[in-house]
Amino acid sequence: MAMPYRECLAVLAAQRRDELVVTSAGNSSELWHGITGDTERTFYLEASMSMASLFAAGLAEGIPEAQVWAFSGDGAFCMNPGMLMVERDMDLPNLKHFLLSNRAYGSTSNVPLPGRAQNDYAAIARGFGIERVWSFETLGGLEQGFDEAVRSPGHGVIVLELEPVTGKHGSPPMDGPEVKFRFGRYIERTYNRTIFSAPV
Amino acid sequence: MNAPPAQAAPAQADRAASRYSPEVAAAIAEECAQAGIELVASLPDDWIAPTIAAFDGDPRFRHVPVNREESAIGLCSGAFLAGTGAMALMGASGLMTLVYAITKINYTYEIPVFILITQRGSLDDVAKFHVSNGLYLDQVMRSIDLPNVTIDSRNRLPLIGEAYAHSRKISRPTVAILSKKLLLGLA
Repeated sequence: MAMPYRECLAVLAAQRRDELVVTSAGNSSELWHGITGDTERTFYLEASMSMASLFAAGLAEGIPEAQVWAFSGDGAFCMNPGMLMVERDMDLPNLKHFLLSNRAYGSTSNVPLPGRAQNDYAAIARGFGIERVWSFETLGGLEQGFDEAVRSPGHGVIVLELEPVTGKHGSPPMDGPEVKFRFGRYIERTYNRTIFSAPV
Repeated sequence: MNAPPAQAAPAQADRAASRYSPEVAAAIAEECAQAGIELVASLPDDWIAPTIAAFDGDPRFRHVPVNREESAIGLCSGAFLAGTGAMALMGASGLMTLVYAITKINYTYEIPVFILITQRGSLDDVAKFHVSNGLYLDQVMRSIDLPNVTIDSRNRLPLIGEAYAHSRKISRPTVAILSKKLLLGLA
């Protein structure tokens, strides 16, 4: 079974409190912006494949008082599954890694992913030594298990089985530097960090 | 089923075996600390085994061994937006894999990142499998307008801090390149 992509993200958006979010290329960035309209607490890392979760780890490591969510598409994840080795070693209690599995390269016309029928992402995560791994295939299951998977402390990987997205959705209407400054200014004033005004 | 037994950290093991200078490694770490670097993401290269060990054993740094060079760029780029001074440490071959990550993340979003690499493929590198770095590393960096500086003696080590600060100033990546003679303690 698989969940409708947009509806699944809508569940996450409804449950979200003040978490920082790092999205991945394509669908997750486009749909998350479409649902939330967020331009401050989300870093839309559209220009990346496989780097969203460690980008989020850099945030989570430096801002331990923040909760950080990372979205990885399974196409991106399969390009660099060893990211989980690093996440396991860092073991950041404030980082949750959502693996959005639609078994396709969703941002490139849903070209099928190799191994799409067999890939077991939860097993891969456990194989890298990650203990807190959840997998959800239904919206009801996600809503029921959300608190245990996401609210409880500890680094975790949450696999979300999703349907491929049909149709094209627009990118967040911001160039890269605007994404950086909006997000960074929010970090500066919310978490009292010095980012852009640090002396050089 | 039992998990495999834990083994000694590779960085510590290499430190004892390496012929590269632990004193130079310590001096590099000192320059990085003075520059404000707190997080170091590393990939191994034989020339910098003592340098990696120096960061690993220095409480001023959070040392994160990563699985591939793109992971280092992702981690350091996120760290920047947390206000954490960060550096990616790797061999020259590692930088050769980073055109995608640098141009996509750091150029698109104008996020600075400082990268410290070895000068593999130089005339004094005896490894044939690093010939390609000697032939193409400089051209690859120039092809993406990646500012870089070579550090080939101890008296040039302060350029580490300058290259790090320059990255922040221009909101782009910069690279400092460590020569073999420096890392051997011969220059």
